[in-house]
Amino acid sequence: MEKEAPEKSASFVCREEQPNISDTTDTPPPEPTAKADDKTDDKNGDEEKEEDDEKEKKEVEDKTEENKENNNEDEDQTLPDEADEDPLTALQKLSEDIDRFVVSSQEPNAKTNGQIDDNENDDHVSPEVPEFVDKFLELIEEMVEKHDSGEGKVKWNKLSEEGSSSFLEAVDRISKLNNKLLEMKLEGETHGLLINRVGSIHHRAMVYLEEEFRWLLMEESKTDIHDSDPGGDNNNNQKGKPEQHDSCPMPGSESAKDEAADFPGYTNDVVSKLHKIAKEMILGGYEWECLEVYMNARRIAFEDSLQRIGCEKHSIDDVHKIQWDALERDIGSWITALKQCSTVLFSCERKLAEAVFSDYPSISTDIFSCLIRGIVIEFLNFCEGVSMSKCSAEKLFKTLDMYETLRDMVPKMDALFPEDCASELKKDATLTRSRLGEAAISLFCDLENSIKSDTGKTPVAGGAVHPLSRYTMNYLKYACEYKDTLEQVFREHSKIERADSTSRPHGHDYEVEATSMNQNNDSDKQSPFSVQLMRVMDLLDANLEVKSKLYKDVALSSIFMMNNGRYIVQKIKGSTEIHEVMGDTWCRRRSSELRQYHKNYQRETWSKLLGCLSHEGLNVHGKVPKPVLKERFKSFNAMFEEIHKTQSTWVVSDEQLQSELRVSISAVVIPAYRSFLGRFSQVLDPGRQTEKYIKFQPDDLETYIDELFDGNPMSMARRRQ
Amino acid sequence: MRATDNQGSFLNRISIRRNQVVSMDGNHEQELEDIELFQKHVSDRFSDLLSPSDDTSADALLSISWLRKLLDVFLCCEAEFKAIMIMGRDASLISKPPLDRLFHELLDRNVKTLDVCNAVHHGVDAVRHFQKLAEIVVSALEQRPIGEGQVRRAKRALNSLITAMALEDKDGTGNKSTERAWSFGRRGGSGAVNKDRNPGQFRAISWNMAKGWSASKQIQAMSSNLVAPRGGETLALPVYISSTVMVFVMWALVAAIPCQERSGLASHYSVPRQLSWAQPMVGLQEKIAEEWKKKEKKGCSGLLEEIQKMEKLVQSLSEFAESFQFPAEPERLEEVANQVAELAETCKRMEEGLFPLQQQLREVFHRVVRSRAEILEALEQGGKSSTPIM
Repeated sequence: MEKEAPEKSASFVCREEQPNISDTTDTPPPEPTAKADDKTDDKNGDEEKEEDDEKEKKEVEDKTEENKENNNEDEDQTLPDEADEDPLTALQKLSEDIDRFVVSSQEPNAKTNGQIDDNENDDHVSPEVPEFVDKFLELIEEMVEKHDSGEGKVKWNKLSEEGSSSFLEAVDRISKLNNKLLEMKLEGETHGLLINRVGSIHHRAMVYLEEEFRWLLMEESKTDIHDSDPGGDNNNNQKGKPEQHDSCPMPGSESAKDEAADFPGYTNDVVSKLHKIAKEMILGGYEWECLEVYMNARRIAFEDSLQRIGCEKHSIDDVHKIQWDALERDIGSWITALKQCSTVLFSCERKLAEAVFSDYPSISTDIFSCLIRGIVIEFLNFCEGVSMSKCSAEKLFKTLDMYETLRDMVPKMDALFPEDCASELKKDATLTRSRLGEAAISLFCDLENSIKSDTGKTPVAGGAVHPLSRYTMNYLKYACEYKDTLEQVFREHSKIERADSTSRPHGHDYEVEATSMNQNNDSDKQSPFSVQLMRVMDLLDANLEVKSKLYKDVALSSIFMMNNGRYIVQKIKGSTEIHEVMGDTWCRRRSSELRQYHKNYQRETWSKLLGCLSHEGLNVHGKVPKPVLKERFKSFNAMFEEIHKTQSTWVVSDEQLQSELRVSISAVVIPAYRSFLGRFSQVLDPGRQTEKYIKFQPDDLETYIDELFDGNPMSMARRRQ
Repeated sequence: MRATDNQGSFLNRISIRRNQVVSMDGNHEQELEDIELFQKHVSDRFSDLLSPSDDTSADALLSISWLRKLLDVFLCCEAEFKAIMIMGRDASLISKPPLDRLFHELLDRNVKTLDVCNAVHHGVDAVRHFQKLAEIVVSALEQRPIGEGQVRRAKRALNSLITAMALEDKDGTGNKSTERAWSFGRRGGSGAVNKDRNPGQFRAISWNMAKGWSASKQIQAMSSNLVAPRGGETLALPVYISSTVMVFVMWALVAAIPCQERSGLASHYSVPRQLSWAQPMVGLQEKIAEEWKKKEKKGCSGLLEEIQKMEKLVQSLSEFAESFQFPAEPERLEEVANQVAELAETCKRMEEGLFPLQQQLREVFHRVVRSRAEILEALEQGGKSSTPIM
């Protein structure tokens, strides 16, 4: 409203400059009456003081005042003649008269700046208020009565354009008349009654407008965009979808609605009605009522839409106690809601406020700020609740989702919210964002604890991939889908204390390690997140190392390490994000470690067997000692059978690794066996002796080797049958 | 910002001292001295609140500005507590029994404090709503000559105000809160029409807390396990003091500002009488509890001084409006004019004070969040090592 002040004063100036321009209306020039003069003179004293009270009088006056200014004197005459005709025409005439009358007070200001003593007229019964005011009031009262009578109440949206505008004009006049009479500071009983009457009609009209305003706000708002627009883009404003900032499709499909629908659920037509009513209410001095109605209606609408999205309110205390899956669902809803708010709802809401209160920018700013402040704080509280609820590693992803949503929202606040409100809420949101970031860090670091605390003493059967490896790698793979966010979170929200915490080794530890690995070029670039990721990998390694010792069979523990190592490397290679963080060097290092385990296994299992096939000791003075040879065959057979029996129960589920292992075993064992057979088989007597000692043909060996690592307990005896 | 200044310099002092002392073994004496000082400060600060040195009515007990002072005091005490207990302390100490249990209870109280802060924040919105209705009354009844239209306008606002205050008071029997939000202009359409003339039209007043949340239960839960430590448990004392301050401040806020579900508030909590540092708090608690008991019978929407004043004026203006006949009697008018002026003054104080109060509540909220994180960190740290954090 403040904004009006300069305009108004300008119009006063204007008026002063042209006090008595010749008449431009159709009404015949009147004979100035004494009464009119009296009244005019009468007014000047109060003029200055009342400027403030008159703020409501706006341009409407200014436009028409040139026409009206000089005609205030003739009303008494024109009126009686025409009032009898048709009530509408009569009202029209009367309205013009009222307009002139309402403006008339300004004239003396120009003419006779306070030179006549006001008190002189006190005794006159009604020198100042022309008779037509009564007539006008009768008509208006009837009009208001017609609109606003219990049963047959006229709904605003049922009114024709004309009907509503003529009503609003009438209300506008009554507001002005009311102000005018008040500022005239009339005294005496008759005046009192008149003022009382005008005030009552005015109040009734205002209450009617207020009710219609509320009705339009509450009932004309169709369901909100997001859940009634299944085909629209706004429906799923998830990642990847283009965000629409500027338009909010309407639920209905009528083309009229579609054209420039910027408002949350209202047609342009309704918005323009709302605007007109709001303007009239504010002009009539019912600003508070108007704002209250607006505020409450919109808050309810907003709560409503949040509820429909599925946002449920929880106290922070409850967030601690609630089941995770229920909370997870709610987090999802809040994220959806927050995204919708920042992309669509807030800007629509602002547009609505700006459109309804377009004549009063400061009002629209205040009311919008007030509305969204409550909503944003509600969101932030929920985020705080989540960020301090109990730790479980699974929470990380939802926490990161929330973090991203909030992070993306903060920069938009400047554009969405009025300045003061934006800076206040940004401060709040930034704090909450840090809390979420810190929570995410601590959740991620919690993985360390999961790994450390996995101290089971039962080895996994067959040396297969340990569940801890699977869990950790799947978790990391999923986490690394948030890699950029995690990098940011670790960069921005790692607490300084962490740097000297004894519980977490830091960058330099890795650097030392890295240097020793000839990785110094990489170590400079390591981000806090990758350091943490490395740390997790190292912990996992260390834990697996310990677990491998649970196997009594050294070969099996090598298989275990190979299995797990292979699994880890495959997982890392399978995810671009982790691969980027871990780097090629790391993978290469890993692969060479795997080769080492392979060698260990080979040596452990097969070198003893190959010992049986050694030619050494089988050449005594050019002769092959038969008993020794028999012993060799016997132990080879027994040993191979034993290996087959045990190792076919072992598990290598990675097909490539499995075949690599089999190939490498075959490559060592079969040629050696073949040459051993070739060299010594004829030493044994053909027949029973050969049958007894040579149980395997080289091809048999290959078949048996291909049965290793299948995880099937398969005894050779059974197979042979 | 008084609070920040205070605590800034205080923290400096403490931490400087800590750093000097920390290397020395057996700083027991230092510790005792710190705790003694803490008790004294708490006592002094609450004495100020009990009987403000500058006797202006603006700082009257439970007025908006008094509540703001109360929050300042809370922030100061909180900072001092952290300085004594967390900064530079051997973290392993607080993570061992019996302190660890006390700290975990403190953390739980922290969480409940956050909810109370939010509920009170919503409550301030409700008070702002009262203020707006009162502004209508003021603007209607300020007009001269006063006519039926304006009186009707005022009456409407007064009725809404009375209903709103009554609702805020009864509010929170659990389901009630949602009912309230929905009762205003239900979507049914016909309901809205019937309600048109009903003064309950301004019903949806502010955001609510979650269903079933109860301020008085929270306060009860915060105070139920609050037990004064026996002699000898030196370090338990600051935890106890800090918790007592926290519970008292939250309790007073809930009593002053409309809040979801507050039945039996007065009986749920009392400050132990035998402790010397708590004497001023005992005094305040008795005063407030007495007020509460008086009001609880009649029903009130909060002991906030401004609300109480508003209630009285509304009562009397409402009588005036009910019996109004045009033209008004001049004597009566004069009386009304005075009351309207008082109401306007009350509105002005709300206008000036409510927003800063809300901001301060957010500050308290964030501070408590922060502290909670620091305590957790310390506990975790202490669980792992015995190295001081700073």
